[in-house]
Amino acid sequence: MGVEQEKSAVYGHMFSTVVPGDVTGEAVVHELADMDLVTKLHYLRAVYYFSQSEVVDGLAITDLKRPMFPWLNVLYPLAGRIRRAEAGRPFIKCNDCGLRIVEASCSKTLEEWLDAEDDPRWGSLVPEKILGPELPFSPLVYIQFTRFKCGGMAIGYSWSHVLGDAASATNCINLWGDFLNGNDPPTKPFQLSNMQNTAQDYAPQKAPASVKQVEIANDCWLFPNACKMATHSFKVTETELDKVQKGQKLQFELIAALFWLCLSRIQSGKELKLATICRHGTQAKCSDMLSNNIRTSTVKLDSSAASVGLFRLANLIVEQDMDELESVEQLVDRNSGKPDFLLYGANLTFVDMRGINLFGLELKGQKPVKVDLSIDGVGDEGAVLVLPCPQRSDVTVMVILPEDQIPKLRRVLDSEFGIA
Amino acid sequence: MDAATLGLVAPLLRWPSAFMLCFFPTNAINIAAVSVASIVTSLNPRQRSRPRRTPSLNCTCSSSRQAGRMPTAPLPQFSSSVKLKYVKLGYQYLVNNFLSLLLLPVMAAVSLELVHRGPGEMVELWESLRVDLIHVLCYLFAIVFVSTVYFMSRPRPVYLVDYACFKPPATCRVPFSTFMEHARLIYPNEKSVRFQMRILERSGLGEETCLPPANHYLPPKPTMEASRDEAQLVIFSAIDDLVRKTGLKPKDIDILIVNCSLFSPTPSLSAMIINKYKLRSNIRSFNLSGMGCSAGLISIDLARDLLQAHPSSKALVISTEIITPNFYPGNERAMLLPNCLFRMGAAAILLSNRRRDARRAKYRLVHVLRTHKGAEDRAYRCVYQEEDSEGNSGINLSKDLMSIAGDALKSNITTLGPLVLPMSEQLLFFLTLVVRKVINPKWKPYIPDFKQAFEHFCIHAGGRAVIDELQKNLDLSAEHVEASRMTLHRFGNTSSSSLWYELNYIESKGRMRRGDRLWQIAFGSGFKCNSAVWKCMRTVKTPVDGPWANCIHRYPVHIPEVVKL
Repeated sequence: MGVEQEKSAVYGHMFSTVVPGDVTGEAVVHELADMDLVTKLHYLRAVYYFSQSEVVDGLAITDLKRPMFPWLNVLYPLAGRIRRAEAGRPFIKCNDCGLRIVEASCSKTLEEWLDAEDDPRWGSLVPEKILGPELPFSPLVYIQFTRFKCGGMAIGYSWSHVLGDAASATNCINLWGDFLNGNDPPTKPFQLSNMQNTAQDYAPQKAPASVKQVEIANDCWLFPNACKMATHSFKVTETELDKVQKGQKLQFELIAALFWLCLSRIQSGKELKLATICRHGTQAKCSDMLSNNIRTSTVKLDSSAASVGLFRLANLIVEQDMDELESVEQLVDRNSGKPDFLLYGANLTFVDMRGINLFGLELKGQKPVKVDLSIDGVGDEGAVLVLPCPQRSDVTVMVILPEDQIPKLRRVLDSEFGIA
Repeated sequence: MDAATLGLVAPLLRWPSAFMLCFFPTNAINIAAVSVASIVTSLNPRQRSRPRRTPSLNCTCSSSRQAGRMPTAPLPQFSSSVKLKYVKLGYQYLVNNFLSLLLLPVMAAVSLELVHRGPGEMVELWESLRVDLIHVLCYLFAIVFVSTVYFMSRPRPVYLVDYACFKPPATCRVPFSTFMEHARLIYPNEKSVRFQMRILERSGLGEETCLPPANHYLPPKPTMEASRDEAQLVIFSAIDDLVRKTGLKPKDIDILIVNCSLFSPTPSLSAMIINKYKLRSNIRSFNLSGMGCSAGLISIDLARDLLQAHPSSKALVISTEIITPNFYPGNERAMLLPNCLFRMGAAAILLSNRRRDARRAKYRLVHVLRTHKGAEDRAYRCVYQEEDSEGNSGINLSKDLMSIAGDALKSNITTLGPLVLPMSEQLLFFLTLVVRKVINPKWKPYIPDFKQAFEHFCIHAGGRAVIDELQKNLDLSAEHVEASRMTLHRFGNTSSSSLWYELNYIESKGRMRRGDRLWQIAFGSGFKCNSAVWKCMRTVKTPVDGPWANCIHRYPVHIPEVVKL
C-alpha cells in the first residue's frame, strides 16, 4: 500500500480551533528553558486507536471538544504561540490562541487499517504540521479525530517538543481524558513555570556531543533531512527479551545495544561509533510538570559497534552515563537561545520512554487498543524509541531511520533474534 | 414652514396635549415650545455643541476629541459661580412643582374665607342653591359618566414581568488572537486582514465575546442546519431561563413575537418556538425579519399595540440575531466590519397587561417612539445588504453612518422631549428659544438635560463610535453609558438583544430602584431610531443567575483606546 493510497483513504478534513474557557490574562508568558530550546526542531506524533463501541461512537465532536476548554484553563501554554524576545530567544506568549482540531473520516475499517502494512499508516491520522515559517501563527498542538468506517476512532496528537517531553505530552492528553470522563480536576496544578538554574553558575564545560548546532532557514522549525526518513515499530515480547537478556536485568541497555549492533551491521560504509542516550529525568508517571526533563549522555566507542559484543556494548552504555545537562545549557545560553540545535538524530539516538503513561488515555472507561508514538524532525542518524506496552513485560521499539535502512534492519532482527 | 412652527403645530394635534390644553394652558405652550427643533440646530454635529457643565467621572470615551468644552447657562455671566447650582435647583423645584405650590395659597385663601364667614353662612349658601334630589342625581350621573369614559379610554398598562438573556457558553469564546489567526488563514488579501485587526483593536470588545460553533471552523460553515442549530441554542436557552424565573406556562402565552433580522427560514423562528414548546393553536405569532438592530423595540411596540387590543393577555417577545449565515468571506472593507463586531446573543421578554401581574412586574412601559428616516436616500442606503463584485453577500455600512444616526436621534428626541422632560427644562428651552428668535440670535441654544428625565440609559451597543457619539450629544456621564460600554466589552454587538444585556448589567450592579425611569435607544438599518421609556415598579434584587452572574465583580473595566494585539 503506497503512502498516497493511505492518505486518500482519509478524507473530509475539517479544521477548527479550541481555546481556553477563561481569559488567561494579559501579557502572560511561559519562558522556555534551555533544554526546551534544544528540542525545538522535534515533534511528538502519537495516535491512539479506539475500537468500535457504543461509547466511542456515541461521542460527538462537541462532547470531545467541551472538556478541552477547562483542560486548557489548566494548561494554557498549550494554547499559546511562539514569540521571540528582543535578544532573539523564543518564548511562549499565552494569548489563548488555541489548539487546532481536525475532524476526518476514513474509508477503511479499523481492523483493515491496523492489519495493513506498517509504516506510513499513522501518518495520515495525525497532522504533520511544524512550527513556522510564521511562528506567531503556528499552533503548538494539533489533535485529529478520525472516524473509521463501521465505527471506531483514532485520535492523532501532534505535540511540539519545545513544550515538553513525551512524559509531559502523555500526561497532558491523559488529563484531557480525565476531564472528558468527568473526573475531578487535579488537586495539584501542573507546574508550568520552567526556569532552571542559569548556566552562568556552572564551570565552563566543553560542548556536549549529543547536541549539534544546525542552520535553519526562514524560521521553519524542521531539520531538512538529506534522505527520506521512515518509521517502523517492533514488538519485543517477554520471551524474546529473555532469550537476549539471559538472566541480566539491563532491559533498555540491552535493547539499545541490540539495535546498535544490527544497525552497524547493515550500515557497512559507516562506523557507528557515537550514540546518544536520552532518559527522562524524573519518574515520568508521577510527573505533573510541563517541561523537557531529559538527561542526555553520549557513548563513544573506539571501534565499530559491530566488533564489540552485545553485552559489552550494553555495559558501556551503563558506564558512560554522564549527564550532559550543564554543558547543554551552557551551549544554549552562550548564544542567548538564538541558534538552532538538533538533539534526536544528531547521532544515533536511543530514547528510554518506558516510564511514560502511554496507555493512560481513557474515553469513558474505554482504553485504546493500540498506541503509536513517534518523533518527527529526527536527524539523518536516526532514533530508536523504547516504549512501554500494556503488558508490562513487553516493550515496543519504534525506529525512525532513513527509508532504505528499514527493510535491511527487519531482516537482520528477524533472522538473528526473531524480532518482528 | 420652518422647524419651529412645525414643532408648534405637531404636538397640538396629539389628543393628550389637546386634553390637557383644556386644563393646563401653560403646559400646551411649553409643549409647543419644546419644538426641540432647536435641538436640531444645537445638536448638529457640524456645529460646536455646548454641553452643560456636569461632573464627569472617569470618562473612558474619547475625551481627546471633545476639545474646548464650555459650560452653558441661561445667564452666561454667572457661569462659573457655585451659587448658580443652588439657583438652578431652586428654579427646578419651583417650576416642576408649580401647581402644587400654587395650590397652597389658594387653599389658604379658601380656608381663611370659610373661617371668616362662619358655618352659619355656609348653610345659608347651600340652601340658596335650591338643590333637590333630581339635581343631585343628575350631577352624580354626570360625574360617574365622565369618570367611566375617562377610565375606559385610558390605555391598558403594559408590564414587563421579567426577561432573560442568553448566556453564551465558554465553548463559543473567541479571543482576539484566535480571531486574527483565523482571519489570516481565511482571507488571502493581506489588506483585509490588517483592516480587521485595526477594527478589532479599536472596537471596545473584550476577550470573552462569543461566536457560534460554525464560525470556529476554517473556513466557517454557514449551512442552514448550523444556522438553525444556533437559533435553537440561543432562543431555547433564553426561554428556558425565563420560564424558570417567572413560572410561565407555555399554554398561557397569547402573543409571540420574534425578531431576527438576517436569518428568516421557512417555517419561521416563531413556528420553531411553537413547535418546541407546544404552544396553543390560537396563538397570535409574528416573525419580524429584515428590521435591523432596532427591531427589539419594534417588537415591544407591536406587543404593546396587541395588548391594547386583547385584554388579559401575555406576550412573549424574543429578540435575537443569528450570526452563522452572515459571515462575509470577501474583501470589501465596508462589509468586513460586521464580522468583527457582531456576536451571538438573544433575549426573551415577558409582557403582560393583566392587573394581577402588576404586583410582580419589574417595569411598566411608558412610551415607545419610533422614527424612520428611510424617506431619505442617504439614510436608506446607510446599512445595505448587497453582493460585492465577487458575488459574496455582506452588509455594507456607509461612511456617513454616524451623521445619519445623529439626525435620526435628533428626530426621535424631538418627539420624546415634550413627553418626558420636566417642566423646568421645557420652560428654559422655550425662554431661550424666544430670546434667540426675538431679542438676540447669537444667544447660545439650550440643550435640555435628559439626565433629569431618566435615571438609567441603555444605548444600543452598536459599536464604540455610537456610544461615544451619544454620550457627547446627550451630555451623559461615564456612569450613564457604563452599561453600554461594558456590554460591548463582554458580549460584543449582539444586535437587538444588547439593550437587555445592558439592563441586566444595571440590575446586576444593584442600581435599579423603584420609581427609576429607564430609556432604551436603538438604531438600525432603514435608517431607524427607536426608543422606549420604562418605569421601574419594584426595586430589583441583584440577580444570582443570568449572563453577568459570574463576571459582574470584574466590571467596570477600563477599556483602552487601542488594544495591543
